[in-house]
Amino acid sequence: MAIDKSIIGQPTGKSRIVIERGPVGIFARAVKDDSPIYQSPEAARAAGFERIPVPPTYGFAMSYWGGFPEIQPADDPGKKRNILMEVMGGLMSQGGVILHGEQEFVYHRPIMVGDVLAGEGKVVDFYERESKGKVMTFLITENVYRDEKSGQPVLTTRMNLIHRR
Amino acid sequence: MARSKLTFDQVKEGDAAPVQRHELNRTDLVMYAGASGDFNPMHHDDTKATAAGFPSVFGHGMFSAGFLAKALTDYVGIGSLRHFKVRFAKQTWPGDDLTARCTVVRKRVENGQHLVDLECSLVDGKGEVKVSGEATAELPA
Repeated sequence: MAIDKSIIGQPTGKSRIVIERGPVGIFARAVKDDSPIYQSPEAARAAGFERIPVPPTYGFAMSYWGGFPEIQPADDPGKKRNILMEVMGGLMSQGGVILHGEQEFVYHRPIMVGDVLAGEGKVVDFYERESKGKVMTFLITENVYRDEKSGQPVLTTRMNLIHRR
Repeated sequence: MARSKLTFDQVKEGDAAPVQRHELNRTDLVMYAGASGDFNPMHHDDTKATAAGFPSVFGHGMFSAGFLAKALTDYVGIGSLRHFKVRFAKQTWPGDDLTARCTVVRKRVENGQHLVDLECSLVDGKGEVKVSGEATAELPA
């Protein structure tokens, strides 16, 4: 089946995310990291951080904890068109499964408790491959998160979703 | 923190980070579900997981990624990672004896930054790779 390459480059949504101490500490424990740096402001300062930093994969969970509805940007293009749902929903209507194939993080500076981040996402690739009689469709999205105060990027994430049928 | 930071000079290609082991259990799955907001029942509801044809509930891929990241930061230091990428190869199951291994594959200096590239993997007791990954850390000179 032909796939719609025109979605490459299209925005997937904007977000505004608050980083709070409680969720960061709980998340660190949930990935079996008992470092006091994630729990105590004193330990974080002693390790050279201004405030408690977040674990490396917290970027995948932070919108769940800190994406409060009333602070979301009014001009979020994801409200008009949810490409992820559109594409994956369309593929799932043909059966098959969706797999999280890869996840990537680029760290520009440590995210810390108290930060407010502005995120902006887009589709960076969309393609199809055949492998062992199965059709695999790959959707790669990227999100760039900036520190709202400075405007500087703090984190870039890339997610590779695979639909296999 | 009393722990001294790893420096660029202390590292050489082929060095391995201390191995981290963890036997996955259902409490881990529940804790990660609550901490991440991923309430897909395949990760906490055995009744639904077996009805869907799985032998039991299975672990979140991002739990494995998080555990692998902890193995990395225990070695290079929290805040040192510049890049981390994982590929999800196989599911993890309660009872899996998971081992995280990280190895230094390259050292380089770019734009005054002292960078160390690492390869890492999470394997079970039978040696099956669950997650493989790569990372770059910036270390003090």
